[in-house]
Amino acid sequence: MAPRTDAISRRQLLAGGASLAALFALQACSTGEKTETPKGTAGGGDPWKQFSGTTINFISENTSPSAAIAANLAPFEQLTGITVKVQQMELDKVVEKCKLDFSSGTAQNHVIYADPYQILAPMADGLADLRPLLDSGNYPAVDKGLGDFIDTQLQATGSFIDDKKLFALPYDAPTMILHYRKDLFEKYGPRAKADLGFDPTPSDSMTWQQYLAVAKWFNENARSDVAYGIGAQAKQHDALQCDFSNVLWSFGGDYFEKGQSLGLRGSEEPGAVTVGSPAGVAAATFYRDLLKVAHPSSTTWDWTGLADAFVAGEIAMCPNWHEFAAGEEKAFPGKVGYALLPKGPARRAHIFGGTGIGINANAKGDELGAAWLFVNWATSPQTQLMSLGSKVGGGTPTRTSVYELPEVKAEEGKSPSKFPNIRTAETVLKAWQAENIGLRPKVAQWVELDTIIFTELSKMLTRGADPAATMAAMQQQMQKAMQ
Amino acid sequence: MSAGLDTAPRTTLRTRAVPPARAGRARRRARPPRGLKTFEFAMMAPALTVLFVLSWVPFVILIAMSFAKVRTLGGVSLTFTGADNWSAVLGDGAIWASWARSLVYFVAIVGLEMLLGLAVALVLHQLVRARSVVLSIVLLPMFLAPVLVGLLGRFMLDSTIGLYAKILQGVGLGDDLLASPSTALPTIVSIDVWQWTPLVALILLAGLTAVPPATLEAATVDGAGYLRTLVSIILPQMKPIILVALLVRSMDAIRYFDIVVATTNGGPADATKIIPIKLYEFAFRFNNQLGKAAVLGLTMLAFSIVMARIFLRFFGERPSIAAGDGGDRG
Repeated sequence: MAPRTDAISRRQLLAGGASLAALFALQACSTGEKTETPKGTAGGGDPWKQFSGTTINFISENTSPSAAIAANLAPFEQLTGITVKVQQMELDKVVEKCKLDFSSGTAQNHVIYADPYQILAPMADGLADLRPLLDSGNYPAVDKGLGDFIDTQLQATGSFIDDKKLFALPYDAPTMILHYRKDLFEKYGPRAKADLGFDPTPSDSMTWQQYLAVAKWFNENARSDVAYGIGAQAKQHDALQCDFSNVLWSFGGDYFEKGQSLGLRGSEEPGAVTVGSPAGVAAATFYRDLLKVAHPSSTTWDWTGLADAFVAGEIAMCPNWHEFAAGEEKAFPGKVGYALLPKGPARRAHIFGGTGIGINANAKGDELGAAWLFVNWATSPQTQLMSLGSKVGGGTPTRTSVYELPEVKAEEGKSPSKFPNIRTAETVLKAWQAENIGLRPKVAQWVELDTIIFTELSKMLTRGADPAATMAAMQQQMQKAMQ
Repeated sequence: MSAGLDTAPRTTLRTRAVPPARAGRARRRARPPRGLKTFEFAMMAPALTVLFVLSWVPFVILIAMSFAKVRTLGGVSLTFTGADNWSAVLGDGAIWASWARSLVYFVAIVGLEMLLGLAVALVLHQLVRARSVVLSIVLLPMFLAPVLVGLLGRFMLDSTIGLYAKILQGVGLGDDLLASPSTALPTIVSIDVWQWTPLVALILLAGLTAVPPATLEAATVDGAGYLRTLVSIILPQMKPIILVALLVRSMDAIRYFDIVVATTNGGPADATKIIPIKLYEFAFRFNNQLGKAAVLGLTMLAFSIVMARIFLRFFGERPSIAAGDGGDRG
């Protein structure tokens, strides 16, 4: 067929497509600005009521504190006249939705559950700096000031590199501690002590080697009451990295040369990757041995799966986030004990999983103001106290003053308790001490590094890969990702 | 086919009845209008514009992204990096391993669903009284969202609370099927086959009911057994409908995602990390790696096109010579 002059050629078509694409790309562009401090017109001078009638969305991981907040929104709505819609989902999905939201230049979600490693560090540009809002006289002040937040948590969850900016206020503080069935240890403890030569009940003096020995003993001697001595969160998932990090740090290893100092403000220059060090290999070798005696389904469990197995009576003890205490108290009232994680050759380490809540930088006007009022309210001592007693969840307060309240102190270790999560307070307060806390490196590439870490560990645990080869592969891939 | 044979003589008769000059004008009138400045094109323009915006614009952007470092935060920006993304993706052993797993999935899922779907369709075709009731029950899994099916599989196979896990433990198969690299992959394939075999069965059942009874009766009269009738009469006549089922399921199998994410998240030991999961990681989890995600997207598109061409080659209807110009010459 002869060519026609009025037909569109492929070249013209592609050129047209490219032009349109460029147009769309330009339209999607937005620029970073200093956070505005809008003043609302509603409420007749009441600073809490100034954004009355506004609706905002809060996106969060499906954690106990968020379940408690979602179920107790009425006081905030009465106080401010603002409607809050809470979406809860798995952390992966929160990260994905935030990335899309920040990139689109819109604010579908105004208040963000800003995981410091998966959202704050890689997407700090997408979060509003809260300092101008904190300093503005347009809003109610933060009750008891920033000084009431536990300082480590304020830095770890709120800042990234530039300490003049604050991207989030500490909202929850899950930290891994050892959960164990007191009833089983009371029943089998004397026999186990006689066989093992040490007190098997988890305590501040327990070592990882003793933990392994107790796990084996339970497997061999207590099957009529519990399927396995221990379980782990070893699914190919972020949970596996968290579980392993406790062991890595306690064996003296770390992910980067600058080690734990990267966990507070983060850095763009974390130093050389050090995970393949002899200490790292020793930690991996021990972790593999630990998983050999753990419940065989451990490689399918993340933290929730492990918590479910614990309350189903499948295991006698495990390291897990302390916020699961409320659910455990329902299943085994008064029968669950908490202890620091076992010691390694170098130290003991409790990975900190706390998160702050921040504001989408694309939020403007009344929505921005309403979002700030919500952040202020949700992290206030009164709200944290209310969340502690929630029937559906259970908070993990980030305010020093909450732990010092007489009614909270009175509930420590009590069963039944009005505040079941506070049963862990004594242990978790010790876990937060500088020498016991475990902080992941806050670097922008963390999600990719995390994926490398848990994937290589999963290969070691399920395909029988050599620990030294595993750590070498991890080191090499992490170095490549950091380039 | 028979319709085509019937049409040819009628066309010939009609052409003979019309004088040559009028026939020429009729041919000119029947010729489809061409060019951009026609009324027909103007009428199609809105739909074509929507189609263009929805398919070609993303496609062109995808190509541009594959040659660039893409930043989305603080304003979308594309920094041209040449073929860096392509060389990084094509030189990554983990991605080739992921492709190999995807191929295994593809063959297993499409193969099993076609075979089982055909078997179910043949059984349903034989049913006379309870067919609609049985069909309704058989079709139930495909009405569920894939992510729900994944979660259902995860819970049923969970060693703590899962019904199937307890049954397996009861018969001495205590190992968690999703915990081992050797069983996770077949387990996920089984979950997908459970969900989508009914769709294949439904499509093939429609094809079976369209086979002319007279042909089957003729085969019976000629002494053909059931198997011979199936292989020589039924299946050849069902080729177009088999093609539809193959295309529908194969295009879906390439994008297989929900069930893997809901059950294993790509693990254990990457045993279920197929290409769509890799793409998701690059696009939505890792920082500034949309360029690599675009490369993977384009390679998936190329794979889809190649597979569709292969299926069309084997199952597509080829135009009969008798129905074309050659027929008139005879």
